[in-house]
Amino acid sequence: MNSAERRRAMAFKRFYAEYQRLILGMVSVVGMMLLWELAFTYVIPLNPFFFTKPSLIAEAFKQQIVSGSLWHDVAISSKAFLLGFGLAVVVGIPIGVFMGWRRRAEYTLDPFLTALYASPLVALAPLLIIIFGVGLTGKVALIFLLSVFPFIFNVFAGVKCTDRLLVNVVRSFGGREKDIYFKVILPSIMPYIVAGARIAIGRGIVGILVTEFYAASEGIGFAISRFGDTYRLPDMFAAIMVLMIVAVGLTEGLRKLETLVAPWKVGQEAR
Amino acid sequence: MVPCIEARSLTLTFTPKNRDPVTALQGFDLQVSKGEFLSLVGPSGCGKSTFLNVLLGLLKPDSGELSLNGKQIDGPGQERAMVFQEFGLLPWRTVLANVELGLELKGVAPSIRHERALDLIKLVGLERFQNHYPHELSGGMKQRVGLARALATEPEVLLMDEPFAALDAQTRDLMQTELLQIWERTKKTVLFVTHSIEEAAYLSDRVVIMTARPGRMKNVFKIDLPRPRDYEMRLTPEFNDIKAKIWNTLKDELSGKAAGNGI
Amino acid sequence: MESRARGEMNTLASFYREREQAILGGGFILLLILIWQIVPALISLPRGIALFFTTPVEVIKSFYQLVVRNEIQSHVYTSAVEFVVGLGLAIVVGLPLGLVMGRSKILDAMLDPFVTAFNATPRLVFLPLLILWLGIGIWSKIMIVFVGALFPLLINTYEGVKNVDRVLVNVVRSFGASEWQTMKVVVLPNSVPYIVAGLRLAIGRALLGVVVGEFFGASRGLGFMIAGAATNYKVDVVFVGVTIFMGLSLALTHLVKRLEARLSRWRPDEVKTF
Repeated sequence: MNSAERRRAMAFKRFYAEYQRLILGMVSVVGMMLLWELAFTYVIPLNPFFFTKPSLIAEAFKQQIVSGSLWHDVAISSKAFLLGFGLAVVVGIPIGVFMGWRRRAEYTLDPFLTALYASPLVALAPLLIIIFGVGLTGKVALIFLLSVFPFIFNVFAGVKCTDRLLVNVVRSFGGREKDIYFKVILPSIMPYIVAGARIAIGRGIVGILVTEFYAASEGIGFAISRFGDTYRLPDMFAAIMVLMIVAVGLTEGLRKLETLVAPWKVGQEAR
Repeated sequence: MVPCIEARSLTLTFTPKNRDPVTALQGFDLQVSKGEFLSLVGPSGCGKSTFLNVLLGLLKPDSGELSLNGKQIDGPGQERAMVFQEFGLLPWRTVLANVELGLELKGVAPSIRHERALDLIKLVGLERFQNHYPHELSGGMKQRVGLARALATEPEVLLMDEPFAALDAQTRDLMQTELLQIWERTKKTVLFVTHSIEEAAYLSDRVVIMTARPGRMKNVFKIDLPRPRDYEMRLTPEFNDIKAKIWNTLKDELSGKAAGNGI
Repeated sequence: MESRARGEMNTLASFYREREQAILGGGFILLLILIWQIVPALISLPRGIALFFTTPVEVIKSFYQLVVRNEIQSHVYTSAVEFVVGLGLAIVVGLPLGLVMGRSKILDAMLDPFVTAFNATPRLVFLPLLILWLGIGIWSKIMIVFVGALFPLLINTYEGVKNVDRVLVNVVRSFGASEWQTMKVVVLPNSVPYIVAGLRLAIGRALLGVVVGEFFGASRGLGFMIAGAATNYKVDVVFVGVTIFMGLSLALTHLVKRLEARLSRWRPDEVKTF
């Protein structure tokens, strides 16, 4: 090997070392897709009522975008999700702060809320649907119920973790209760709020899926279950993948936000 | 001479949950003159930090009197500011925003407090770091921010609770000299709590030795060394004499501890 | 006389102070249940709401009825089987996989995109697919439970293995330990608290899987019972089912938390996972 070749080899090695994780990951995903496609095209006969392959999924995906049905479904589901999730933020954070800051509130509310959080509240879904009907209200109610708890408990933990020294610092400069809330507690709990949001997103999506599987006429969950009923597997896989992309996008986006909001904190994982 | 700070018979007992009550201060007396640099030295748990917190207004004594310039102390006030051992900087604020904190809480207009904060940041030599965050700074730098913040509200009395204890030895020595320089320029009354006899003797006009818990004043030493003081003074025989005298007084309190107070 | 009354007040006060936490918390829950019970006695409910309303006493009566008439036992049995088998599979697959992924950087890098994608997506989304493949028998539910419980176990085991102190590994290696011995002596004990925390999360997900799986494609099971009762406006039966799930969830989570506390005694307090 002459020196030019050697230099190129070295550069390649360095590139690989730095991006090793990313490269291996991509290789793995692409490899799997290729294997999947090739297996069902050349090796295993494809039973369309049972399975499908990437090329068909891609085609179905394109169709759904072109016909607009994809956007429509996603929009319907998003509306309910945002309403329920927004309500959870607005209700959950103050409760969490209240519990974290006042010990009596913690003693009174903690057992009750912990019991609720630990229970599969989804079990109430049929009841909620029967009561509120199949429309937006029932969906929003369930999504709210499911996603409010991560906010309550994460904010609660965040408030309890607030550095008491900082509270004393603000007090010593003459700060009042209002100052303590806005200048110490709120900034302190931002990373916990974002972490709570990350957990709540998953639970909120469960809410959407449960209501739409059970009794709905629109929405991405409904689409998935309808495609299943009519054995339209490529469409079903396409819809599932759309949901996966949205879920991953939101979750990883929030993870990034967590590190931005709190560069001074060493990350604590709670997946 | 009217004392700037006067404490008479201060008593304070803590009653923590599920544990025995702890008397931190018992009949504590102290007088501090205006513009004086006074150190409080004593064994661990003798109540020195407690006294500082009472002075700051964060703790209320059970009995006794505490006054500043003749007026009773009744909570935090602008005339007193503290520099904390663990710095206490808000991690989500830049250096500038941290130094402004006291002024901000008092409702000073943004442009004015900006200027004031910048002046102090220059005073402590951190001008280049005004937009950095605390986690990007070293311990010594963080404490300088703490000092700038305390000085920003122009207090009469500066309370310092083992401010250099969390720093390494070299930074500590440097900070001590810097503190003296800043003190000469700003002429505040300083109450300095420390475990280090050397630090107390080097910095102060007077050194107060406290007894083991419950805390009371045991002895006071006047440090007659000329000012401005420099590092070389620490190597002189006079300085060592002073240290020895302080140590002898303190020693009894420490061994009394070992005999059975159980820390 | 007066000093004795004061003495009694003092003991009452200190009794309260010591148990304040339990009194406030338990009291609040009891209060809510009480209010729930007497609401229909206090206000007359409009027809629409009265249809959906039930009271704690009715729920208890309903439960008793279902047990006596032997209607509930087969449902409980089915759900239990789905839960146990699904969770068991998740443990059997998740733990070894997590261990291997934690130790092998290459495998970790290759599987990471899949794990991240599947972890972020609610496993529920695969339910229609699983029903399509496995029908409405017991296996589709077992698979949903499996897929739900797998990820907390996998990820936590993985984290536990990754977080092992390099220094300790080097110490053991310096005594000539093989990979297998290193695993046994250092990696596994270090990971146990993480694994148990993962188990706690997995139990919650598994229960969820049982509940929702049985809503949509089942002919038996507690979830099926709840869904059926809801359609027939038998709200009391719905609450029987919900309460059973709630109770199971609390009991199991509590047990695992106790196990976790026992096994985490050596860990510094900040590193506990949620």
